[in-house]
Amino acid sequence: MSSARSNNPHDDIDEVLIDEAAIQARVKELGAEIASAYGGGEPLVLVSVLKGSLIFVADLMRAIPGNVVIDLMEVSSYGGGNTESSGTVRILKDLSGTIEGRDVVIVEDIIDTGLTLNYLMGYLGGKSPRSIRIVTLLNKPARRLVDLKVDWTGFEIPDKFVVGYGLDFGETYRNLRYVGVLKRELYASLLGES
Amino acid sequence: METAVGTRPFAHRSEAEFAQILDFYGIRWEYEATAFPLSHHRDGRVASRFAPDFYLPEINLWVELTTIRQTLMRQKRRKLRRFTALYPDLRIKLLGANDIKALMWKYQRSARGVVGPSGSTTPPRRREERVGEVAA
Repeated sequence: MSSARSNNPHDDIDEVLIDEAAIQARVKELGAEIASAYGGGEPLVLVSVLKGSLIFVADLMRAIPGNVVIDLMEVSSYGGGNTESSGTVRILKDLSGTIEGRDVVIVEDIIDTGLTLNYLMGYLGGKSPRSIRIVTLLNKPARRLVDLKVDWTGFEIPDKFVVGYGLDFGETYRNLRYVGVLKRELYASLLGES
Repeated sequence: METAVGTRPFAHRSEAEFAQILDFYGIRWEYEATAFPLSHHRDGRVASRFAPDFYLPEINLWVELTTIRQTLMRQKRRKLRRFTALYPDLRIKLLGANDIKALMWKYQRSARGVVGPSGSTTPPRRREERVGEVAA
């Protein structure tokens, strides 16, 4: 049976999959790894894919020593509130600056099928950057449809429905400081299980 | 009644939904494009075939969707093992009910009617024939 979310988002979490300390430690490592992959020159451009990667990019950019700039993109999601499921993906928010000739790192919260990222790689590739690489906090390779080279992964996770640290369910739970597994009764009806 | 995307009819709503997702992200697909022989009679005639539901030419991936009964899932897994043994250079992915549910979660759409026998748009007899026809 389906149930409503509680007023305290922590009460809706079945299990903490990755706690705050583990996330912060890994983000610090990722920042150092990314920094070491690039020399000097123009600042690295971190492109955050909204809204899920917002918190990750905020922490990641502070973990990168040296100059970085960020830009934000948002693309429509299949079946999203303002999109027809029969439509095609649209850019809801495009980059503010140019990436021509620049080193770009796409920052994702989670990669599963790779469909969105595949689209973004094509779109951003058309803007003639010097390079494009990918960093994701979470990776679900078992769900992959489109093969993509993911340059940096925070954590590979099992097939569980996770929220927190930017990831949402119905636009909530993004503010949790950890990644947790949502209680099944909250989405059982969505899965046709009740 | 069959479910259609554009003018293409699908045997199950999950297939129609999957086709729409691919269309949304600009991934080209072909539906039941090729039937691969899996076994032969002694006289050389094909005894069984397997036609994966989708072929995605740009990423060279075959996809088979199974959202119905567990017994059929087992049959499909057997077929896939045979398929990969016979055609090791072809990439194929089996999407089961849990995979479709994960897609529905991701896009926060209801899986009701998309997963399970209620989503079938093919009469049960025809469905069984189709499975039997491709069984290894």
